[in-house]
Amino acid sequence: MKPTVDKLIDQMQMLFKDLVAKDLMAPNVISISPDRTMEQAKELMRLKKISGLPVVENDILVGLVSIEDIIKALERHTIHDPIYKIMTKNLIVVSPDENLPQIFDKFTRTGFGRFPVVDNQKRLVGILTKEDILRGILEEFRLLYVRDKRRQDVIDGEALNRSLITGEEINKLGADFAFSIDYVEISLSGIGAARLKEFLKGRGIEEEIARKVAIATYEAETNVVIHSGSSGNIYCFIYPEYVRVRVEDHGKGIEDLDKAMQEGYSTATDQIREMGFGAGMGISNMHRYSDKMVIVSEIGKGVIVEMQFFLKDTANGS
Amino acid sequence: MKLVDISKILEAKVCSGEEKLNDLEIERVGAADMMSDVLAFAKPGMLLITGLNTPQVVRTASIVGISTVVIVRKKQIPEETIQAAKMFGIPLLHSPLPMYTACGVLYTNNLKDIRSF
Repeated sequence: MKPTVDKLIDQMQMLFKDLVAKDLMAPNVISISPDRTMEQAKELMRLKKISGLPVVENDILVGLVSIEDIIKALERHTIHDPIYKIMTKNLIVVSPDENLPQIFDKFTRTGFGRFPVVDNQKRLVGILTKEDILRGILEEFRLLYVRDKRRQDVIDGEALNRSLITGEEINKLGADFAFSIDYVEISLSGIGAARLKEFLKGRGIEEEIARKVAIATYEAETNVVIHSGSSGNIYCFIYPEYVRVRVEDHGKGIEDLDKAMQEGYSTATDQIREMGFGAGMGISNMHRYSDKMVIVSEIGKGVIVEMQFFLKDTANGS
Repeated sequence: MKLVDISKILEAKVCSGEEKLNDLEIERVGAADMMSDVLAFAKPGMLLITGLNTPQVVRTASIVGISTVVIVRKKQIPEETIQAAKMFGIPLLHSPLPMYTACGVLYTNNLKDIRSF
């Protein structure tokens, strides 16, 4: 596992050199104060399954306890001593603005597995492991973007009128099918998808494909009704090789990308759950039934879901 | 098994789709209360047993191609749900049996689940 992680990070670092420590680090670090004993540090590390514990006094990072420090304390019978006597005090830290190549250089030169991230007032703001870096890189790759400042223009800008998948311009006024989603009346959810299915069948689209489109659209439509707190629209375009569906809203946006992607996670209310939704399968179902999918979201601005469904003969893509 | 026979076994009241009772042949049955599960796993033509009575059930059925919906556990079925079933041409049955029993009697009558299509 480890050599693979190193190799991957090495290959990726130049591609992602704009990533900085504060994007990658795990915030909310577990820490301990220096007047506790090494025994207490050991217990905390065991319970939290961590191999390095930052020592913090009044928010300021003053040291680090590693597994090695614990082993030495056990050997030397100093396990009941206060941490400040034993902890590692000469620390190599990372600042929140250091970029990926700089961080990676520190990993290589020191051979350490983790670095505390410390701001210019020496306050501990996070911790950074190689796994965090890898996760950060993977996140950049994801189909699913929850927005940050760098992508602010995506939802504001011209992307609204371009395909998120192919980049070509799309004219929503010329959509083959359009439906506006009523988010006030929850019991109406699903009507858009049901109409879309009828429409596709009427246009001679095969039942099996119309079904896939309708299922994925139903989930997207339900998400608008349940989560967005805003009105939304469904647009469908029929092309010779595929069907494209866009479902857009102007609501709250997706708050937690990682969780939203997990099958089984949902922020839906009990009322929604009683109606048979809120199982946390919406995005999984869209993914399962579409051939390509991109979701763009920004908090407070809304969500755009775009999906492509290949028509039979090009089912393997082109 | 013909839907008319299923409706008898389940002691069900037929709320919509009376005209299809004698013709519709059911081979597969599934039971679920989560609509997303239905969207994920339902097979076209199957009969769905559910404890939900909202119009979404019927819309979900129509979208995935479920042929028949059987509502169990509920005392009443809202008029909206019945209207939706009529609109989509989906037979809607209302059975007084508990879900477990409804599933059990159909299973013992050799109706299959959604696997091995």
